Amino acid sequence: MVRTELTEKSPLRSLEKAVQGGLGKGNIAVIASKEGVGKTACLVHIATDKLMRNKHVIHVSYANRVDHIVNWYEDIFTEISKKRELEDAMEVHDDIIHNRVIMNFNQKGVSVDQVLASVKAMMDNGQLGTDAVIIDGFDFTAGSAEDIKKFKAFAVEADIELWFSDSYPEGADYLDDRGIPVNLNKDMDDLSVILTLRADQGYMVLKLVKDHKDLVSEDLHLKLDPKTLLIAEA
Amino acid sequence: MSADITKMRNIGISAHIDSGKTTLTERILFYCQKIHAIHEVRGKDGVGATMDSMELEKERGITIASAATNVTWKEHDINIIDTPGHVDFTIEVERALRVLDGAVLVLCSVGGVQSQSITVDRQLKRYGVPRIAFVNKSDRTGANPYKVCDQLKEKLDLNSVMMQVPIGLEDKLEGVIDLIRMKAIYFDGNDGEQIRIEEIPSELQAEADERREMMLDSVSMFNEEIMEKMMEEEDIPEELLHTTIREAVIAQELVPVYLGSAYKNKGVQEMMDAVIRYLPSPPEVENKALDLDNDEAEVVLPSDSTKPPVALAFKLEDGQYGQLTYIRVYQGIIKKGAELVNVRNGRKFKVGRLVRMHSNNMEDINEAPAGDIVALFGIDCASGDTFCDPSLNLSMTSMFVPNAVISLSIKPVDKSASDKMAKALNRFTKEDPTFRTHVDPESNETIVSGMGELHLEVYIERMKREYGAEVETGAPQVAYREAISTSADFNYTHKKQTGGSGQYGRVAGTMEPLETTEEKNYEFVNQIKGGAIPTEYIPSCDKGFQTGMEKGSLIGAPVVGVKMTINDGQYHAVDSSDQAFQTAALGAFREAYKKCKPIILEPIMKVSVEGPTEFQGNIFGTLNQRRGMIVASNEEGNYSVVEAEVPLSEMFGYSTVLRSSTQGKAEFTMEFAKYGKVPTSVTEELIKKYEEERKAQQK
Repeated sequence: MVRTELTEKSPLRSLEKAVQGGLGKGNIAVIASKEGVGKTACLVHIATDKLMRNKHVIHVSYANRVDHIVNWYEDIFTEISKKRELEDAMEVHDDIIHNRVIMNFNQKGVSVDQVLASVKAMMDNGQLGTDAVIIDGFDFTAGSAEDIKKFKAFAVEADIELWFSDSYPEGADYLDDRGIPVNLNKDMDDLSVILTLRADQGYMVLKLVKDHKDLVSEDLHLKLDPKTLLIAEA
Repeated sequence: MSADITKMRNIGISAHIDSGKTTLTERILFYCQKIHAIHEVRGKDGVGATMDSMELEKERGITIASAATNVTWKEHDINIIDTPGHVDFTIEVERALRVLDGAVLVLCSVGGVQSQSITVDRQLKRYGVPRIAFVNKSDRTGANPYKVCDQLKEKLDLNSVMMQVPIGLEDKLEGVIDLIRMKAIYFDGNDGEQIRIEEIPSELQAEADERREMMLDSVSMFNEEIMEKMMEEEDIPEELLHTTIREAVIAQELVPVYLGSAYKNKGVQEMMDAVIRYLPSPPEVENKALDLDNDEAEVVLPSDSTKPPVALAFKLEDGQYGQLTYIRVYQGIIKKGAELVNVRNGRKFKVGRLVRMHSNNMEDINEAPAGDIVALFGIDCASGDTFCDPSLNLSMTSMFVPNAVISLSIKPVDKSASDKMAKALNRFTKEDPTFRTHVDPESNETIVSGMGELHLEVYIERMKREYGAEVETGAPQVAYREAISTSADFNYTHKKQTGGSGQYGRVAGTMEPLETTEEKNYEFVNQIKGGAIPTEYIPSCDKGFQTGMEKGSLIGAPVVGVKMTINDGQYHAVDSSDQAFQTAALGAFREAYKKCKPIILEPIMKVSVEGPTEFQGNIFGTLNQRRGMIVASNEEGNYSVVEAEVPLSEMFGYSTVLRSSTQGKAEFTMEFAKYGKVPTSVTEELIKKYEEERKAQQK
């Protein structure tokens, strides 16, 4: 399969369809789940799909080591190219990594202002033409509604998509009575798309909670394969 | 010197540039009473630190060559290899690591685990060297040894544990608390040489208790007895802790962390105690050699003095009395007057003078037992050679030598400089396998190549200083390569049959890309059936192809990664010859090469820039302008580290640009990462430039 065909047939197209044509620039999406269910894998798959379509991505993390994140990308890319028998995989790989930058923040309690200033510095000087920013590991319990407004304003001003993850401890009941992840209910106006991820019979099922305007409760026909950690059609 | 080999330590001191390694070594020498006054690296007294034996190192404030020196600390013999900290001299570091049994990883209390520390740690891991850590410069503003200890865990995956608590930090650093003895230790006297042991100051008792608990938790993982005693809240004997820590360190499962300030004379002696307490003696480390009589099978060398001797030459130095060869003895005893053989060339020689080194002073000795590091005089050899008893044919494993990535032309200013230059080059290439030299057949210029700009600069300076050879240098040239990106068939006839003896040969087959490795970038496959080309001319074809590999047609750079298969051909009973088939093969190579979409490859460097966060936009910008690919940025507080991959050709003069765009507050290191494809626009430029040069030469 060649690169363009691969992206056209990507299961992520059906995710886009479900949310009325995609997230769109200037908007924020959040994937919420318990720890260790596969949020990072989803985000990396979404980012890789964008990279495959010649888009530029910045991946922000709050982890300790950058090489772990690089490994995530390597693994997801290898799985995709194996599964779809991608032609010239090495060349595509070398090509797309040029459009990806990882920004890691090591300090506990680093402020949203500082993160945004650094991301902006990267967009202005390091990676021109950034299309999407992935923010994995942001602590929504510590972040105020004010912080989310700053992210929203940044997404609009910089004309980018923002993808977040929102994590809950194992065993916690994290959905409120409307089915919204509890950390997010204060920010509903600023969040365009909300997805949850839960384990179901050996697979991780993606569920749509908000699609731009409406609150919904719809199991997408998308699951996360626990072996390859790829999003696939159910 | 004691004959007890278990009381011997061979250690290296590894660190990032400017974390104060040389100052630390200097202090060790002082406390071991090898020297009687302390000199600073960038000394005000004009003497310079004792370990930096070369004049140049004194001037630049950096250590380049790894001098070995022997000291005695509490009845233990310690051989210290002072290793250079800059990446451009990595071969020196790697060679020193080869002969070490243990290392002290020196870290700056402010900078913490820096890019260079990561490289050095990777090298230590590769050679399986047990280590302890020393957090130096704890007197500096912003010092935080705990943070450094955490970074060792996070960034280097080391099981690090603080063995001490600082008494005051930054300019208030007074001493350290030893968490095993639970005592405060102060360093009195003009040079911190008098150790005063006191009770722990009451305000630090709680912190010391907490840190001791953490230390015990880590150590108890290696010994059940300690764990039980902790649960029963019994006293744990000091000796039990020491032996447990020792075993864990030697197994490379634990890294005890010490702290202090060499410059302010704090904590060095405690670190020395840890060296002899926890780092292994030579018999505790397994060393292997390759048996050349048995298909290079691995042989374990016991540090046994009764066996025939085996030693490795790991460093050469030019002294007043001729070549000085540093060796590490792995087995047996090297005696004055004994006969040894250099395994590389089979040459036998007699051991003349045998000396133990202390930087620039030396002591004559009669024998050196297994495990020891000593120097020989007047032996003609290259570094990396193995010396054996003539009854053996063992070679110490060859060390990984990376390819050169940069070259420049040098021209002696006059006739006398020319002879001196030749002498210097001969010496340097023997000393350092990554420093190479050749004469370009077209321009007739002498070309030197190496691992980076600084690497070559240092040798050119040394040429001037040590050999008095003044040379003019050309602009640095990047070592480009050419490769093919697809495969193609060829069918080429070389024919010259007009008058006299003729030439005739036809070769046909396929040219394909080959995955390249360090050792192999060309493969020749013969599939000729039925004698279309007579057997005697097959090697001629191979040779002709290899001639083609020497120079690609795009910019005349060496070609890498080609597989040539021949499957058909034709010969002429009279006119075919070795020469004719070589020419035919070369023609076939060039014909196929054009069809195989050749590309240019350039060395890509892994660049790491560290600086205050406020300048990171500028740092990103400077990398971006250099065709750099920013891989990641890592922010910690106000400090960020940016990692990027940048073509070497774009890195010339980068230090100046970086300095001016960050007010001198950022620094960078780089090392060779890989060869990468040159983008089309740059390829066109390079081809144009090559063609212009060729035209200019033809005129």
